[in-house]
Amino acid sequence: MQISSIEEKVLLTDILKLKKQILKMIWIAQSGHPGGSLSCVNLIYLLYKKVMKFDAKNPLMEDRDIFILSKGHAAPALYAVLSKIGLIEKKELYTLRSFGSRLQGHPKKNKDLGIEISTGSLGIGFSVSIGCALAAKLNNNNKKIFTLLGDGELNEGVVWEAAMAASHYKLDNLIAIVDRNGIQSDGSTEEVMSLEPLADKWKAFGWEVIEIDGSNINEIINGFKNACKIFRKPTVVISYLIKGSDVSFMEHTRRYHGKPPNKEEYESAVLEINKQIEIIQGD
Amino acid sequence: MINLPARDVLGNFLTYNGDKYQNMVVLNADLSLSTKSDIFAQKYPHRFFNFGIAEQNMIGASMGFAISNKMPIVCGFSLFTTGRAWEFIRLACHDNLNIKFITTHGGLVGGDGSTHSALEDLSLMACLPNLNVIVPGDNIEIVKVLEYAFRIPGPFYIRLPRGNLNVIHKKDFEFDPNAIDVIKNGNESNDICIIGIGSGSYIASQFALKLEQELHISIRILNQSTIKPINTKNLISLIKNDKNVIVIEEHNTYCGFGSIISRIISEYCPKKIKIIGIENSFGQSGSRNELLEYYGFSYKNLKKKILELLNEK
Ligand SMILES: Cc1ncc(C[n+]2csc(CCOP(=O)(O)OP(=O)(O)O)c2C)c(N)n1
Ligand SMILES: [Mg+2]
Repeated sequence: MQISSIEEKVLLTDILKLKKQILKMIWIAQSGHPGGSLSCVNLIYLLYKKVMKFDAKNPLMEDRDIFILSKGHAAPALYAVLSKIGLIEKKELYTLRSFGSRLQGHPKKNKDLGIEISTGSLGIGFSVSIGCALAAKLNNNNKKIFTLLGDGELNEGVVWEAAMAASHYKLDNLIAIVDRNGIQSDGSTEEVMSLEPLADKWKAFGWEVIEIDGSNINEIINGFKNACKIFRKPTVVISYLIKGSDVSFMEHTRRYHGKPPNKEEYESAVLEINKQIEIIQGD
Repeated sequence: MINLPARDVLGNFLTYNGDKYQNMVVLNADLSLSTKSDIFAQKYPHRFFNFGIAEQNMIGASMGFAISNKMPIVCGFSLFTTGRAWEFIRLACHDNLNIKFITTHGGLVGGDGSTHSALEDLSLMACLPNLNVIVPGDNIEIVKVLEYAFRIPGPFYIRLPRGNLNVIHKKDFEFDPNAIDVIKNGNESNDICIIGIGSGSYIASQFALKLEQELHISIRILNQSTIKPINTKNLISLIKNDKNVIVIEEHNTYCGFGSIISRIISEYCPKKIKIIGIENSFGQSGSRNELLEYYGFSYKNLKKKILELLNEK
């Protein structure tokens, strides 16, 4: 299924605006992880907006779908999306990482905000999602569990312990999403600890694998929706993305993995994104 | 050197000593930039191993290096290294392997918040037989402690903070784990003996003079960077005439350094003791100053603890 080109424009614009928000939050906090937040915010937004059963007016709804941000350092992306869907006021966004804020450096469990579990220590969130999927089965509830992992995060042994368990238990209600941006803290994933052939690894672990171009809105939405239809095994959506995407000097580099932009960098990033919004609007 | 962040001191030390310790290998779990072991990696790429974000495998592999006569230096964040891979470390200590676990981001970490704060690592490490546990108080001491740890075979846990440590030692300071490191002597007998580790020793010295004047008391300050093994005899003989003890540690108070000192004091020379540390919390995001203030590493709280000690019967 294809979304209309009008809707596509709206979503693309929304995503760019979310990216501006992320940059502003991290710039004000002067700490945080821009690279991995910019790469995956489109995935989180489209999940909430187009895929998940989730009501922002009732985030505690019993049969809601579950989202776990296993790569917890992308908290700014999650907070920006939660704000966009109405769970966080815009001005609260700019309290990111400040003393007393609900918006901690890494997501802190807060049911009102739809944050199901605290994450930030890599690998754990994915393992938690196995338990959620098993519990949903036990309850005969057809809710879906979505977990977003970083590609560097896949280095953790527990990820593969969880992957094994998921196919063992035929968790077709579990959808793992990998932000395949190719970069982790110390450099490119293939230099630090090679992952390829990544799709084959997941297949060998008994998973259905869907590979998508993470810059293509239709591919993302269809990828997630198709993942929901797979029967008797878990699915991983490997999303090829760009670390720091849409800010030229943050793209394809480890430099902004955990480093905030300074004032000039922030301003030029916003200019770049504004230009892209203009282009989309002008089309 | 004096003004560098602790992790830079670490990275430089490893690199300067690469030739001296030919059997040294440096291991890392995707945090070489954050722990500054990347400086070593540039000079000695063949003796540097990045295991990706896989702390358990890194430490398992360090054990293999150790039984193959290498001296592995395991670098990482305090929490993920000790927490994720604790049982691996336990076995390394069980076999008394020559591994140096050197971590940064010990204590409160600022913006990253609770999931990255290391407020339990000393509990996890101090209970392990054979392991030497040391928390240096400034950059001068870091270098001396690293020299010591490299010289002495066996497992070491050396905990460094994320940021800078203020200077508490003179340039000619020498590290001796058995000697008691007196930062401020006071008198033969003092009203208060403050025992600090890491940032705690500087915090004490920052406020001591003012408190002495304001409260008309005498304060002794010790920097007890060696948490394990503590030379109990030397410690007791020095503090036995002091009336009260306060411990300052950037760690939880349930079972940290303060608990260890409390046990020693109640066993060998009972006296009143208060602990300033993180109580019943995993930490949170905030600036370093806000967090220090909030968790009681302040003039106000130190004064309050002293008054409680002086006034309690
Ligand atoms: C258990 C654990 N070890 C180390 C870290 C420190 N850390 C935070 S992010 C990161 C790199 C993550 O890389 P990746 O998963 O590729 O994230 P992304 O590129 O999506 O930002 C590391 C090593 C951590 N948070 N948790
Ligand atoms: Mg990555």
